[in-house]
Amino acid sequence: MRSVEPWVAAPLETFLAESSARLTLLMTASGQVIAQHGFTRSLDVMTAAALGAGIVASTEALAQMIDAPRFVSLVHQGARQHVFLSGFETPRGRWIGLVVFDGESTTGLVQLFFDRLVQELAAAAPPAAPAPRALPQDFEKDLDQSLRALFGR
Amino acid sequence: MSDPREVLDRLSSVRGLRGSALVSAADGLVVADSLMTGVDGRALAALAASLAIRLRRTVEAAGRRPPAFLQLQAAGGAVLAAPCGPDLVLVAIATTEANVGLARLEMLEAARRLG
Amino acid sequence: MPLVNFAAREITCKIVYYGPGRSGKTTNLQYIFERVPASRRGRMVSLATKGDRTLFFDFLPLDLGSISGFTTKFQLYTVPGQSYYASTRRLVLQGADGVVFVADSQARRADANLESLQDLHRNLLEQGVDVRQLPVVFQYNKQDLPGDLILTPQELDEALNFRSAQSYPADALHGGGVFETLKAVSEQVLRRLAARSAAG
Repeated sequence: MRSVEPWVAAPLETFLAESSARLTLLMTASGQVIAQHGFTRSLDVMTAAALGAGIVASTEALAQMIDAPRFVSLVHQGARQHVFLSGFETPRGRWIGLVVFDGESTTGLVQLFFDRLVQELAAAAPPAAPAPRALPQDFEKDLDQSLRALFGR
Repeated sequence: MSDPREVLDRLSSVRGLRGSALVSAADGLVVADSLMTGVDGRALAALAASLAIRLRRTVEAAGRRPPAFLQLQAAGGAVLAAPCGPDLVLVAIATTEANVGLARLEMLEAARRLG
Repeated sequence: MPLVNFAAREITCKIVYYGPGRSGKTTNLQYIFERVPASRRGRMVSLATKGDRTLFFDFLPLDLGSISGFTTKFQLYTVPGQSYYASTRRLVLQGADGVVFVADSQARRADANLESLQDLHRNLLEQGVDVRQLPVVFQYNKQDLPGDLILTPQELDEALNFRSAQSYPADALHGGGVFETLKAVSEQVLRRLAARSAAG
């Protein structure tokens, strides 16, 4: 399990243990990854986050169109694997959870423990955002070298 | 198949039962319930379904037929479960005053009618 | 704002390719996907119609490698260009750290370019983004077409590039100008991040 924010780790570990989820991804509403479990490649995590954020953004836009309150969650039922998606508020803004589960779990279990995860995240979040830190002084110099190396032109 | 509501209403007449619910085994979601205030139906459904599935797998792995009735004894009472075919589980919450034998009979009969 | 994780030493930036329908936004990403080593990119996702028109977005994650010890990743998105998909364009544009405006150099698409640019500005305004501060690069695609059918880069600059942003002629189908554009917008986004970070 990898987590950008250290305070996310413990609630997420609990969720994973209780829900038996196979893959779990927490991201911001614009698709940037906060924490993940089960993915093997970081670039695949980014793709899953982009797709999940896109789905949630679409359904929220649909809800607005029909003057409905935000949909709480979305479940896609597959033949062997299923996907659960839910947006939720945190002290750090709106996040999205994407959970992939199979026969080892159920929709009810995932929903139940996801709700508890949301509560635990709200309780675990530090009171104030940390002060922004500066990037290293040689960042700009290194940037030139890296761009040349990648684009090679 | 009998009307789930009728089945649950009949169970509620058994002394010592604090409520019952019919749960989808695959999803762990409530199909119908007759639960007293203070009982978290959603949690009960999700956890009872999960337990029923795992116990069935355990028993099958031991070469035995799927269980017909489950009794989870706790300090202040018990959780009773009876699978109704492959898709549904009937769950009831019993206090210490409950006549578990009678509850079992009623639940097995209900499971037969629902399954 | 790019996501900077000081603990894990990671930077993630979102770049959106904007422009009218069939201007070459998806073609840009496809070319990048084919040319960047597999270890530096993820799968390209294209949510498209049967006719290969972008329906929702294309997405391509890139790994720029380590810059001063920070793993730097870019998320490249395209928006659907057809006017019908205005609301999905708004959704995809949210959180963009930089924009590449891909204009169609054909003279007959001049109005479409302008409408798309106005659409971009409108959406950014609605999202509370200061267009003057956002890194934007213009790409004038299809410069490979016969000269009597297209506008020159200078003519396109006059028509579209009001803020004298960086602009590049391109032939995205064959790769011309694709990496120059991407490099320019990446550079702007990261330099801006470094400058804001130093300012505290």
